[in-house]
Parts: sequence; structure tokens; C-alpha cells
Amino acid sequence: MTAEPTRSELLQGTLDVLILKTLALAPMHGWGIAQRIHQLSRDVLQVNQGSLYPALYRLESKGWIRSEWGNSDNNRRAKFYELTKTGRRQLADETDSWERFAAAVARVLEAS
Amino acid sequence: MGGFRATLRALFHPRRAEREMDDEMRFHLQMEAEKLQKSGLDPEAARRETLRTFGGVDKYKDECRDARGLSALESVRQDARFALRGLRRNPAYTAAALATLALGIGANVAVFSVVHGVFLQSLPYGGGERLVRLRLDAPGANLSDMGFSPPEVGDFASQTRALSGVAEYHSMWFILLRDPEPERVQTGVVSAGFFDLVGVRPLYGRTFRRGEDAPGAPPVLVLSYDYWQRSHGGDPRVVGRTFKMNDKIHTVIGVLPPMPAYPDDNDVWMPSSACPFRGSAAAANNRNARMLTVFGRLKPGVTMPMLDADLATILGRFSKQYPDAYPGVEAKPAVTSVALRRELTERARPTFLVLLATVALVLLLACANVANLTLARQLRRQRELALRTALGAGRSRLARQMLTESLVLSLAGGLLGIGIAAGGLDLLKAFAARFTPRASEIRIDAPVLLFALGVSLATGIAFGLLPSMSRRADLFAALHEGGERSSGGAGRHRLRDALIVVQVAVSFMLLIGAGLMLRSLWKLASVELGFRTERVLTTRLDLNFSKYMDRDKRRDFQQRLLGRLQGQPGVVSAAISGTFPLNDGGPQSGNFLIEGWPPARPENQPQADFQQVSPAYFETVRIPVQQGRGFTPADRTGATPIALINRTMARHLWKAGSPIGKRLSIDDGKTWIEIVGIVGDVRQYGLDRRPTDQVYLAQAQYPPLSSTLLVRSTSNPMQLSRLVRDAVHGLDADQAVDRFRTLEQVRSNALASPRLTSLLLGLFAALALAITSAGIAGVVAFSVGERTQEFGIRLALGAEPRSVIGMVLRQAMTLVAIGLALGFAGAHLLAGAMSRLLFEVNATDPPTFLAMSAMLAAVAAGASLLPARRITAVDPMLALRAT
Repeated sequence: MTAEPTRSELLQGTLDVLILKTLALAPMHGWGIAQRIHQLSRDVLQVNQGSLYPALYRLESKGWIRSEWGNSDNNRRAKFYELTKTGRRQLADETDSWERFAAAVARVLEAS
Repeated sequence: MGGFRATLRALFHPRRAEREMDDEMRFHLQMEAEKLQKSGLDPEAARRETLRTFGGVDKYKDECRDARGLSALESVRQDARFALRGLRRNPAYTAAALATLALGIGANVAVFSVVHGVFLQSLPYGGGERLVRLRLDAPGANLSDMGFSPPEVGDFASQTRALSGVAEYHSMWFILLRDPEPERVQTGVVSAGFFDLVGVRPLYGRTFRRGEDAPGAPPVLVLSYDYWQRSHGGDPRVVGRTFKMNDKIHTVIGVLPPMPAYPDDNDVWMPSSACPFRGSAAAANNRNARMLTVFGRLKPGVTMPMLDADLATILGRFSKQYPDAYPGVEAKPAVTSVALRRELTERARPTFLVLLATVALVLLLACANVANLTLARQLRRQRELALRTALGAGRSRLARQMLTESLVLSLAGGLLGIGIAAGGLDLLKAFAARFTPRASEIRIDAPVLLFALGVSLATGIAFGLLPSMSRRADLFAALHEGGERSSGGAGRHRLRDALIVVQVAVSFMLLIGAGLMLRSLWKLASVELGFRTERVLTTRLDLNFSKYMDRDKRRDFQQRLLGRLQGQPGVVSAAISGTFPLNDGGPQSGNFLIEGWPPARPENQPQADFQQVSPAYFETVRIPVQQGRGFTPADRTGATPIALINRTMARHLWKAGSPIGKRLSIDDGKTWIEIVGIVGDVRQYGLDRRPTDQVYLAQAQYPPLSSTLLVRSTSNPMQLSRLVRDAVHGLDADQAVDRFRTLEQVRSNALASPRLTSLLLGLFAALALAITSAGIAGVVAFSVGERTQEFGIRLALGAEPRSVIGMVLRQAMTLVAIGLALGFAGAHLLAGAMSRLLFEVNATDPPTFLAMSAMLAAVAAGASLLPARRITAVDPMLALRAT
């Protein structure tokens, strides 16, 4: 994976689970979420803003995250997102199925 | 439930939700820019780089809105705002489209209000769909709708198995005495159970009770709503008041709600026992007194064929029991039933069917025209649209916005249209009243408004989607070309051409409709009347039954009245007559014997219409005495009874022989009336009705009770009305005289329905022609503008400007020709519906088709020539350099 994954390569479901995971660690604003995913993936995953915000709005409308306006580190007004109870359950489910999926892919690739 | 809260927030605070979205994006951009700055870029470069990587903000916002849910409502708001802004920026387009739509939708709403009020909504009677009228016909003897006699009504009621109730009806006029002037009131005379049968409940008081139609019951009256409003000021205290009528005191017991003027426009209603004629013992037992109309209510589950079978059984019994009172088998007598709905609406059907088709065509035309306008506008806006696409607005979003714009236009047009329909409603009601008693029920109510909304939406979708169907615009081409005159592509041209063809075809159909109607009107207006209308005053002079039952008293009153009027200043001549040509009311027809002809049963005897006239009648209305002599004052009682007949009757009964000196009898041979002359035929019962056999009797020998007075004047006949009124009241203060009209007004009224229909169709056709010629001019102007370069080259290469114009004209006229051909076919399809409105004109009348084709072609040529002439102003060099 040398090339930066482009937005279309990042499957929609994948981005959702990444966002949920990031928010499970701490409430965060949109920009922060993008930065955190970038860091946690060791600079491999670059979240495009154009996918991030629609995803956030989508998750909020599903009731998995909720938002509140607060102050950022540098004292700017920012919109913070945090995980809801259903979001936490959803994250567990998605993590399970992701791991099953990843393990399955790995088994296929190891069979030679 | 955070999601729900966010959605609610967006719904109730759309602006706040939008602002928060903006804030959030801005925060993101700032953070991104700061990050870049920290990595060493200068602030300006950082800002640019951020914007570059961030991309189309509009698009993300849109996607966010979509993701948030409920975006439809918000974006409709936004689209509507955009649409209004766009429309305001283009007032010429907006005004043209709005006017076209308002007229198109307005015409449809107006006509639909009639269709709904008259044909669709339930009858204003309780359970009206089960009401029927009975009729007796004997087609073998040429007798139709003969009416029923009093004994039959009771027999039907007791013998029917199909009807749950039977009631009789007939209408009379009586003189009701009151201040300041005696009033002639049209009176419905009915069974006591009539109003219960038809399911009408009184507004005040009560209707008739069982037994109030029994002989000797105290006379009571129920007032109609209109009469109560008109003559009693809508005062409910009129219930309980008494009025003298027919020498008896009548008590008002109730007031009716508004109801159709059916079977007649009655002022008051009374039970059958109160009528001096129907109430007499002689009439009650006379099976030949066919003066009644009979109504019935179908029992639940009974169908019309079952009812007809039931009626046939009953008539069979009647014929066997009373063979003298019924036409023989060879006359094929039959009692059948007509649904009340049919009675009330049948006559209006052909006219409003044609009007409905007309307005539908007008709307189609309006749609085509607005679609064309919209298409032209979109071609001019191509750059704007391309720019917005480049900025990230989705294609579906743009299409949605176009549609919103169309819907905003069509809804506004619909609103204006409702206004137009409401403005014309009274005129339309007056028009409809000529065809149906239900006209008073026409109103713009919820169903009509719903229809208006439906039509507006359908129209908006139709002309909004049509242009975008061909919109496969190449955005890059549009942007790169950099001009507003980007070519629209062949698809759009074809669509515009097709729209013009549709407009021409529709206009042609409307022109044919109007043309046929006008030709029919012209034929009707130039019908040879057989009499002269100018300077004649007519008035209704129905003599009071109770006072003038005696023939001598009647004659005496009429003679004295004529004596008073004769020689008065302004009076040329004055006459009494039972009726006059084109007056309302049907013929007074009867059968008679001719001396020397073999005896025959009544239904096989010759028939004619009878009219009693005073000597000056023929001179007053200028009907020529063609053979023999007219009436003279010497033809009085005691002298030989004499008659005049019309030309049609002479030809019909005596062929080549002379009828003069022949004798006929209307009382089974007791007295013989000698024919002394033949007068010219007149259009007696309608301009479109051929003259029938007519016998004129001498008023002095057969003075009529129900009569009219005609006065020929030296100047404006209306000025004589005062004189006539005073003369009548001078002789008898209790005598009503009313309905003053000139004979010219009577004739004009006879033409009113076809004239109004022609006017309406003519207006629509003119409108269509104007819209279509504007449409053609628009298309030609657009293509001339688009092809300036090409024309420049042609002119530079030495083409004559005339030949270039000719080329453009040929192209436009090809479309017109195709449209004409389609319209030709369409007009032939509609001919069937149209033919029922026409008088002596065939619905495929070649002169009309020819004239309208020529007119449409000429107007279209003119409309295309106007913009095409701009070609001559093209400077070849400029046109070439403009590349």
C-alpha cells in the first residue's frame, strides 16, 4: 500500500467504523477526527473532507453519534461529536464483523 | 435520539442548521490552513492550498443535507427561493409564461366548475339518483311525451311494484293579489307527498302534509327560495301570512331552500286540490285530461329495465280496461322512465363537451408554448447551468431546480387562473342556465380548487420536464465556447420544432371549432323569419282564471283594451294573440277533423298548432296573407267561425289543391270552422325549427285566457310600456301585466346561446392564434440569431437576401404545414361532438376548413417573416469576424 488510498477506495462502511472507533476514544470535532484517523493509521489513511462530513451527518441522523458545540484546544468554536449508547453497540458489532471479514480475507491470501 | 433531534432542528430552524454547517466547514478550513502554515507555507498560499484540496463546498453541503435526512423539504425551500430569484431576473419570460398559464388553467377551471356543478356532483335532492320521470309515447301515431291524467296517477301509485312512491306535478300561472300590484305567479301544483318523494326539506315552516291534496282541504302555499327573496325580501315571517288567489285565501306554510328551476321556474307551490282545474271533480276523473307530469322513486335494488317492464304491465291493464282513452296497438303506446339526472343535464351535454375539449386543447397549447419559452430560456442560460454543474451542483439537483421553477410558475399561473375563473363565473352561470336548471349550483368549491391544483401541478411537470428531456448539454463545450449563443444541439431543435407543430395543430382545431360555430350562427341569424321584429313591443297578459273563466268577459276585456290602445300617440297597431313567434313555451297543439275526410281515432287525426289572434296580428308582426283574406272585425261571435292556415299546412294536407273554403272541426264535428286564407310560414318555436302545421283562429271567436299583447310603435317600442300598463290597470286593477320585451329582444335572445358559444370558441381560437404566432416568431427569431454566421457566409458568397429569407420562411412553413395536416385530422376526429351544436353546417364543412387553413398559414407566414427580415440587416463582414 504505497499509494495513498483515495476516497473511493475507502469503503463507506469502513469510514463509518473508523469514525465510531475514533469517537469511542474521546469526543472530537470533524477536523480532529480526520487527523486522528490519519495518525492512527500511521499516515496511510487520508480522510477526505468531502466524505467525512456527509458521513458524520449520516451517523448523527442514525442516532449513533450526537453533536454539541464547544471550544477547541485553540479556543475556537467547534462542533464536537461523541458516541451514543447505540453507537457503542454498533461499533462492537461492526468491529466483530470487520475482524471476521479481515480474517477471512487473510485466510484466502495465505492459502497458496 | 440524537438523530431525531438533529432532524427536528433542521426542520424547525433551517437557517440555523445551514449556518452551523457553514461554521463547521469554516472551522475545518481554518484548522487545515493553520496546519499547512505550521508546515512552512505563507498564509495566502496555505489558504489557496486548503481550498484546492477541500474541493466543491456546495457539493459537500448538498451531500451533508442529504445525509442529515429531510433534505427534500429544505431543498424545496431553497429551490423555490432560487426559482423566484430567477423568475424575477427575467420578467419578460415570466410575464409571458404566467399570462399563458393563467389563461390556460383559468379556462379549464371555469369549465370544470360547470362540469362539476352540473354533471358530477350529486343531485340536490335527497337520494336524487333514484328519482325518475315517467313518460307516455305513441311513436306509431307520432305522439311523444303525452302527459298523464289524474286517475292514472292514483293507479300507478297503487299498482307499481318498482316504485316506492309516485307524485304528480303540473305548472299553472295564477294571479296573486297583493300590494302594490297584482302578481302573476308561476305555480307548481303537486301531490301532497311530492316534496317527501324528491327529498326536499323546507328552509322555514313545513311542506305539504298527507291529506292536504284531498278535495276541500284548506288552500296552502309553499314559496320557492328565489320568489321569497325577490318578492318578500327574504323575510321568514311570511310563513303564516295569507294571500288571495283564485278567489280563495291561501296560507303560506313554508319556504323552500334553493333548488333547480325544474320542472319549471315556479314561484309558489300548491297541493293539487287548490288548483281550480286539477281540483275539479271533472278533471279528477277524466282519463283524457293529460295535463300531468309524474315522478317516482325507484325501490332499492330495482333497475330501470325492471321499472320499464313494470310500467308496461300497468299500461297493458289500462289499455284493456279503458280502450277509448289509449292509442291502439298500431300506435305502439309505451310508458317509460327517464332518470332525473338525465332530465336535468342532458341538454347541456353537447355544448359543454365541446367547451371541455376546447379548453383542454387551449391548455395543451399553453403547455407547448411555455415549454418552448422555457427551452429558449434554458439555451440562453446554458452557461449559468454549466457553471453551477462545475461548482458541484449535481445534475439531478439542477433538474429538480428547473422543475421547481416550472412548478412555481404553474402554481402562480393556477392561482391567477382561479381568479380569472372566479371573475367569469357569473357570466358562465348565466350561459349554463340556458341549458340546464342546475346552473345555480355551479361554484368554485373544494373539488374545483383541487382540480385547479391538480391541473397546475400536471402543467408544471409537463412543461418543466419536456425541455430537460433533451437536455444532454455538453457542459465543457458550453463553458469553452464562452458565448451565450452556444448551439443547443439537434435534439433541442427537433423538440422546439415538434412543439411548434403541436401548437399549429391545436390552433387549427380551435379555429375550425370557432369557424364552424360562427358559420352556423351566421346561418341561424340569416334564417328567413317570416315576420318583422323591429319596433314591436310584446308583453304577457295572462287573464285571471277566476275572473275571466267566461269567454264573453275575456273577449270583452281584450276588445276594450285594444280599443283603448288604438289611436294612442306612438301606436301603429295593437293585437292580442295566444303567443307570438320565438316566445317561450311550447306549442298549443291539437288534433282536428277535416270535413269530408274518413273518420279516424284521435291519434290518427291530423295535428296542428293553434293560435288565437285578433285581426291586427298579421299586420303588427308583418306576416303576409298570401291567399284569401285575413281576419276582420266582422268575424265575431255568431258569425261563421273562420281560420287561417300557414303555407306549410296548406301544402302538407292539400298538396296542389286549394284549402280555401274547406272546413275543419276541433270539437268532434259540433262546429265547423272555415278556412278563409293562407298566411306565410314563420319560425315559431326556434330559429332552427322548421315551420309546422299552424292554424290561426279568430280571437273574437276563441278568446284566449293565456295571452300576449303586441304593439307596433312609431319609435322605440319600450316607451309604450307605461301606456300599456296604465291601459290594463285602467280596465282591471287586479290584472297582472308583465314581461315587457321588444320583439327584437326576443329574437336576439333566441340567438343568445349560439352567439355566446361562438364568442367563447372564437375567443379561445383567437388566443390560440396569438400564442402560436408569437411562438413561431420566437423560434424563427432564435434560429436567425443562431445562424447569423451562416447567413453572413451565404450573403458574402453572393446569395440574394431574398433567397436567404425565403429559405428561412420555407423551413418555418414546413412546420406549419405538418401542424395543419395534423390539425386537419384532429378536427375531423372532433367533428362528431361538434355537429350537435351546428345548424345547417356540416362539421367537415370544406369552406370553413379552407378559410381557416388559409388564415392560419397567412398569420404564420407573417409571424415568421417579421424576424426573418432581420437577415437583410446582417453585415457579412461583421458576421464572419464575430467567430
